[in-house]
Amino acid sequence: MTATAGTVRRSAGRPSRRAPLRRHRWWVPVLFIGPVLAIQLTFLFLPLGNTFVLAFTNASTVGGGVFTGLANFATIFASAAFWDATAHTGLYIVLATPLLVGISLGLAILINTKMRGAGIVRPILFSPLVMPMAVVALMFQYVLSSNGLVNQILSGLHLISEPIPFLTSSHLALISSVLVTVWKGCGLYTLILLAALQNVSRELDEAAELDGANWLRRTISVTIPQIRGTIGLVAGLAAIAALRAFTEPYVLTGGGPGTSSTTIVLYLFTKGVSPGTQAGYASAISLVLFVVVLVFASISWAATRKGRLR
Amino acid sequence: MTTTAARTAPSVSSAPTTPTPVPKPRRRSRRRGAIGPLERTIRWVLMIIAVAVVLGPLLWQLGTALKGAGEATVGFPGSLVPSDPTLENFVTAFTAVPLGRYLLNSGAIALLGVTFNLLLATLTGYALARIPFRGRALYIGVLLATAALPFEVILISTLLVTRGLGLQDTLLGVVLPQAVSIVSILVMRQAFLAIPDEIEEAATMDGAGAVRTFWSIMLPSVRGSIAVVAVLGFLDSWDQFLWPLVILSDPANYPVNVGVQFLAGAFSADQRVISAAALIVMIPPLLVYFLLQKQVFTGLAEGALKG
Repeated sequence: MTATAGTVRRSAGRPSRRAPLRRHRWWVPVLFIGPVLAIQLTFLFLPLGNTFVLAFTNASTVGGGVFTGLANFATIFASAAFWDATAHTGLYIVLATPLLVGISLGLAILINTKMRGAGIVRPILFSPLVMPMAVVALMFQYVLSSNGLVNQILSGLHLISEPIPFLTSSHLALISSVLVTVWKGCGLYTLILLAALQNVSRELDEAAELDGANWLRRTISVTIPQIRGTIGLVAGLAAIAALRAFTEPYVLTGGGPGTSSTTIVLYLFTKGVSPGTQAGYASAISLVLFVVVLVFASISWAATRKGRLR
Repeated sequence: MTTTAARTAPSVSSAPTTPTPVPKPRRRSRRRGAIGPLERTIRWVLMIIAVAVVLGPLLWQLGTALKGAGEATVGFPGSLVPSDPTLENFVTAFTAVPLGRYLLNSGAIALLGVTFNLLLATLTGYALARIPFRGRALYIGVLLATAALPFEVILISTLLVTRGLGLQDTLLGVVLPQAVSIVSILVMRQAFLAIPDEIEEAATMDGAGAVRTFWSIMLPSVRGSIAVVAVLGFLDSWDQFLWPLVILSDPANYPVNVGVQFLAGAFSADQRVISAAALIVMIPPLLVYFLLQKQVFTGLAEGALKG
């Protein structure tokens, strides 16, 4: 790439790259686009279309099925298990999104310093982003168990007299799952927010400092407003990650105790994956999920549009 | 990390001012850089807490994995550090349970996945950047829209399609449905867009066709982005869980992520052995991360902006 630098400079005055529209034989674009198009048609568009068809049938995962109209949707919306899972996912989003955004923002501000040591701390804080979620959740299965690390520390400090049932209480299982999502997710979001923080204008901060504003005041009123777009982006990513939560509850508790930590994707998994289960019904759930995702994506897009255009 | 920021920031804007270093701002920035002892202490304490929260579980797991069979895994605080460290649990993870087999499966999935990802992303990225064809803008729009579609929505149907093609329980069945990465395509498109037109014109002058130009002139110019795409592809592949869990039924084909869950459930779970296995699974991506930080950060920054 370095070899081309000279050429770039020389061509800088030329009007646009559109000028030398090179003519290609018809098969050239086909050759380059074809493979991706073929895979997408088979494994994306066909399944997506099929989901819309199956959702209105009573097909099982091994085949068959006749048109049943809106019967699946009627069953879904009358199903307590569906609303139960939806409520869990809703709670998941409501808990995980602010925690992820708040902690990541705090960490990003904390390590956005030239202080010695921050250079060592950063890669460690980001490292969970490369750890496989399945293994992280497995690790936390032990960390949060009745004789796990957290309970050991709390009882060692005499803060609790008996272990907290993080994974075996139906009140705490979902929250424990959220905590694992947050532990793993903060690395990525801190990284994104730190990159944004390092791009903010120093002049404004210095002007505020000259005006006598203290550090906290400057951070809240000067720095954070400048990365609002990125904060919106991170909130959108975090909410969609929470909406898709599957691995954490599946590995930690299997959705239990009972169904107390069954998220919507875990519910979908139990309804439609094993042979013989109801593909039609599961497809209808998928469609409901699809609509929810569309709503989320629109909100997130609207919220971050400003940040993207920057 | 500072390099990432420099990369994401448009360096063009700062370029014109670089030739003449002005002494005044430098003095000002030194004064600003001076951190009071109070702030220093607070930052240190908070950073140590943050690092402890990240490293604590990992170190505890390491401690557990190093404990001999005779030593209890419970108790505070003495038992956090093994009294008589042993590597036998790591050996057991390979001998008593098929961790080696799972690692090989994961390696094969990652290798094939990264190969597909690179091939597809460079071909499509090139076409979207440099080969004009009817419907190109529309196709870019479609790609961007599909990037927002979570895989879970089409999970059931994809399972049916893959099963219908006879790819259940095969390597291709794991890799193909996840082979197209929109982020990778966009990263490659951006890289090909940055190549000056003269290079391509010179190649055409010399009589090189589209394929030849792509292979011998264009691909070598985007090595940096290829590395980014390869690294991200590997990390994604190693993290996969739901799809392999769904499409594979023979335990002999499991990748590590699925395999260790199976162990933790089926084996009369020895926590020490499972901890050792889990640590081993984390080593490859952590190695890639610490050795290739630049590629990881660049890729994630672009992915975040486009995803």
